[in-house]
Amino acid sequence: MKTLYACIQCGTCSGSCPAGRYTNLRTRLIVRNIQLGLRENVLGSDDLWACTTCYTCQERCPRNIMITDIVRVARNIAFEEGHAKKPHLYVAHMFINTGHSIKFADEHRKLRESVNVSSVPPTVLSYPEAMEEISKLTELSGFKKKVLEREG
Amino acid sequence: MRIGVYVCHCGGNISEVVDIKEVVSFAGKLPDVVVARDNEHMCSEIGQQMVINNISEHKLDGVVIAACSPQFHEETFRQVVSKAGLNPYMFEMANIREHCSWVHASEPKIATEKAKELVAMAVAKLKLNEPLVKKSISLGNRVLIIGGGIAGIQAALDLADSGFHVYLVEKEPSIGGHMAQLSRTFPTEDCSACILAPKMADVAAHPNITLYAYSEVKNVRGYLGNYEVTIVKKPRYVNMDKCIACGICAEKCPVKVIDVNDFEAGLIPRKAIYIPHEFAVPHKYVIDEKNCLYFTKGVCRVCEKFCPHKAIEFDQKSVEETLKVDTIIVATGYEIFDARKKEMYGYGRFENVLTALQMERIIVNIVKGNPPRDIGKRIAFIQCVGSRDEQIDRLNCSRVCCMYAIKLSQLLKRMNPEREVCVFYIDIRAYGKGFEEYYLRAQETGVRFIRGRVAEIYEKPDKKLVLRVEDTLTGDPYEMEFDTVELSVGMVPGEGTNKVAELLKIPKSPDGFLQEAHPKFRPVDTLTDGIFICGCAQGPKDIPDTVAQASAAAARAIRLMNKKKYEIEPTKAMVIENLCDGCGICVEHCAAGAIEISGGVAKVIEALCRGCGRCVAYCPREAIVVRHYTPSQILAEIEAALSNKQKGESRVLVFADYTCTYRLADSVGTSRMPYTASARIIRVPSGALVTPQLMLKAFELGADAILIGECEQKSSPFLNSVECISDNVERVRKVLKEKGIEPERVKYAEFVTVMLSRFVKEVNSLSELTSRLGEIPAEKRKALSTAKA
Repeated sequence: MKTLYACIQCGTCSGSCPAGRYTNLRTRLIVRNIQLGLRENVLGSDDLWACTTCYTCQERCPRNIMITDIVRVARNIAFEEGHAKKPHLYVAHMFINTGHSIKFADEHRKLRESVNVSSVPPTVLSYPEAMEEISKLTELSGFKKKVLEREG
Repeated sequence: MRIGVYVCHCGGNISEVVDIKEVVSFAGKLPDVVVARDNEHMCSEIGQQMVINNISEHKLDGVVIAACSPQFHEETFRQVVSKAGLNPYMFEMANIREHCSWVHASEPKIATEKAKELVAMAVAKLKLNEPLVKKSISLGNRVLIIGGGIAGIQAALDLADSGFHVYLVEKEPSIGGHMAQLSRTFPTEDCSACILAPKMADVAAHPNITLYAYSEVKNVRGYLGNYEVTIVKKPRYVNMDKCIACGICAEKCPVKVIDVNDFEAGLIPRKAIYIPHEFAVPHKYVIDEKNCLYFTKGVCRVCEKFCPHKAIEFDQKSVEETLKVDTIIVATGYEIFDARKKEMYGYGRFENVLTALQMERIIVNIVKGNPPRDIGKRIAFIQCVGSRDEQIDRLNCSRVCCMYAIKLSQLLKRMNPEREVCVFYIDIRAYGKGFEEYYLRAQETGVRFIRGRVAEIYEKPDKKLVLRVEDTLTGDPYEMEFDTVELSVGMVPGEGTNKVAELLKIPKSPDGFLQEAHPKFRPVDTLTDGIFICGCAQGPKDIPDTVAQASAAAARAIRLMNKKKYEIEPTKAMVIENLCDGCGICVEHCAAGAIEISGGVAKVIEALCRGCGRCVAYCPREAIVVRHYTPSQILAEIEAALSNKQKGESRVLVFADYTCTYRLADSVGTSRMPYTASARIIRVPSGALVTPQLMLKAFELGADAILIGECEQKSSPFLNSVECISDNVERVRKVLKEKGIEPERVKYAEFVTVMLSRFVKEVNSLSELTSRLGEIPAEKRKALSTAKA
C-alpha cells in the first residue's frame, strides 16, 4: 500500500480504464483522494464499485503502483464501514442461498444446449449436496453474518 | 627508537579540560619516549621550532604531536619534521581536542585519562611506522578520447588547442554524433548542423588531433601516464586517400538500405556504399558489409567498376593499432530508448508512430523541400517514453525531451499554422536558461499542451491513430485522433558506454549511466585518476551542459598533465611476497583492478591502487597490507587503547574512515556535542582495512564494542568498500556467536560528514549496550585467541 504515495497523477490509469469510458470512475482520483486522506471521497462514492478489476491500470502504471489491489482493499474497508450497495448485497444474498451469484435461467439452459454441453453446469445445480458445504463456508468465514447485518 | 611527544594547550581549548602536566609526565614515562614537552600553541612558530631543535638535539627518529585533528595540522607538522630531516611518515598526531577536551568538557579527570591513552596509541603506532617515499609518474601530453559526438569534439578541440595531442576514436564512419541529426537546438533555434559542422571540420584539420573514425577501443591496459590502448580500425573497403567523395559509387550501387540507426533514422533509404551525410568527417565513403551484395552474395562489385579513382578495396581487413596515452576521456554518449518496449504505443507496428529523432529528420527534410513522408495535419507528441517509467526500469527523467518536444511542436505549427499539434505530458520541465520563455512561445504559437500520460494508441484501418488519454486537469478521459504521433523517447546508456565502463572499470549509477567521482565537486572525474567522463555517457543532458562538461573534462585532464609528473601517495597496498601464494583472491576483490598476478605472486599497480584495503580483508594468507595502516600498526593502536582499561570501565572502539567518519567526529567535537568517554576513535583510510581478525583480536584484548564508520558509498573515494565491511562484520558476528559473545557488539554504519547527532547516537548506543550486556567473561575473550573468521 505504501507504493500509493509514489503516484505522480499522470493519468495512465484513468486513460486506460475501460470502465471509466462509460462511468464516472476516475482511478487517478481514487489514488489522489487516498493520498490526501479524504476517506469519504473514496469510500462513500459509487465510483469505487465501477471498477471491473481488469488490472490494466496496474499493468501500465509507470510507478508500479498496485492500483487495482488498492481498489479492492478500499472496497473491503467501504463494505466494513457500511457502504455496501444494494445490488451487491443482493448478489451476495443469492450466493449464500443458492451457491450462485446470478439466477440460472431458461435462456442459459438453451444456450448451453445449443453448443452441446450439459444443460445444467457442473456446479451446485448438478450437485445439490455441495450447497451444504457452501453454507458452511459462508457461515464460518463470517460472510453470511456480515451480509445479513447489512441487509438489516 | 627515540620519540618526542609534544602536547598542545591550544590556548586553553585543551588545557582548560585536560591536565596537560599529567599527560606530559605520562608520555615521558612511555618506553622509547626520550622527550615530552608542552606548548601553548604547538602550531606556532615557537612550537614548531621547539620540535625542529629537539629532533637534532635528542636525535629523535619519531614525533608525536598531541593537539587538534590531523585534518588541520598533519600536513603542517609533516613539513616541520621534514625540515629537521625526518621522514614525514615518522610522525603521528593524537587528537586530544576534537576527540577529547571538546567532547568531555564536563569530565576533566576522565578526559585527562583518555588524552593519555590517545597519546599512548599514537606512540604505539609510531613505533611501527616506516619511512615512506612518494613515487612519481612522469606524464606526457597524449589523450585518448572515446566518442566523437559533440562531447568528444569539444574536449578534443580544447585539449588540442592547449597543445596536447588527442587521439579521437569514433565507432561510426563519421564524427558528429546525434547532434548532427538534429534540426534546430532549443531554445535559441540555431541550426544544429550549421553550428556543428565547422567544429567537425576543425577536428579534421587540427594538427594535434589524430582521428580514428569507424574504429573502436578494444582494450586498455595500464594507468595514468602509462595507458596502452588497442584500437581496432574497421575496414571501410574504401581507400581513404584515393576517395574524393564524388558519389559515383553510390549512384551505381543497386542496394537500397533502410536502417533506423542511420543518419536519416530510416526515413530515407541509402545505398550499401554511402557517406553518412553531406558534412561527414572524414568525408569518405564506406561500404556497409551487412548489406553489400558482394559481401552477402559474392556478386556485383559495381562500385569498384565505376569508381574513377580505384578507391574500392574489397580485400581490406580490420587493423589493430596500439597507442600510448597519458589520460583518457570517455564521451560515449547515449542511445535513444527502444520505443518498441512500450507496446501500447505501437512503435514498429503502426507506420505513423515515429521517434523524436525521426521527427527531427522530417523537419530538416521539409525545410530542404524534400519531405520524406506526409505527416498530415494532426500531430501528437507523447512525453516520457522510456523515462520516468519503472515498468521498463527507467525511473530517471531524461531532461531534454520536454524541451525538444516544445521545439519540434512549435516548429511544425509555425511551418503550417493549420496543423493541430498536441503535446501530452506528465510535467513540463523547462528548467534551463531561456527554457520557460521558449515554452511560453510554443503556447503562444498555438501548440496545445494536455496534461495526461497517453494510455494507449490504436490504429484505424485508414492508418490514423487514436489516442486514449485522460486530461488530468479536467478529469475527463478522451479518445483523440491523429495523423502522426511522435514519441519523445528518452536517453539510455548505449552499448558503447557499457563496454567502455567494463574496460576501464568505471562504476555505473543506478540509472545505468557512468558514475562520477563526486556528484558535486568532481562531476567529470572518475575514481580512477587519469580517466574522465563527460556528456550523456554520464547522464542525460542537453548540448550546453554537454559542452560545459566536455570542456571541464579537458581542463581536468590538463590539470594533471600540466604538472608533467604525478605523485603517488605511498599509502597503498603492498604484497609480502614470501607469504603470497598467488591464489588471486585479491585480484578478484580489487575494485580498482590494481592487482595482477605475475611470476606466481600478486603485484600491486600503485598508480591504480586506492589503498582501501579490501584485498587485506580477503587475503587468506595475510600476505598483503596497506602501508602506514598495516594490521600490526592498527593492532598496536588497539592494544594501547585497551591496555589501561580499569575494572568497571568499557571501551567502544570506533574505526573511522578519514574521508567521512573521522571528519564527522571532528565536527561533533567542534560543535561540543558530548558523547561517551569510553569511545576510542582510530583513523583508517577505509573501514575495509579493519579485518575480521583485527576485530576478533580487539575483543580478545578487552574491547566491549566495535563500530566501523564508513563513508556513504556515493561520497566514498573507494569502490564497494561498504560491501566488504558488511561482509567483514558478518564474519566476526558469526564467530562471536559461536563463542557465546553477543554479536551485536560489533556493527558498521555509513556516515556522511553532516550526520552529527547520528554519530553521537551510534556511539552512545553501543556504550549503553555494553553496560546492559556487562563485561565479556575472561574465558570467552580468551577463547577468541584461536578463532578464525
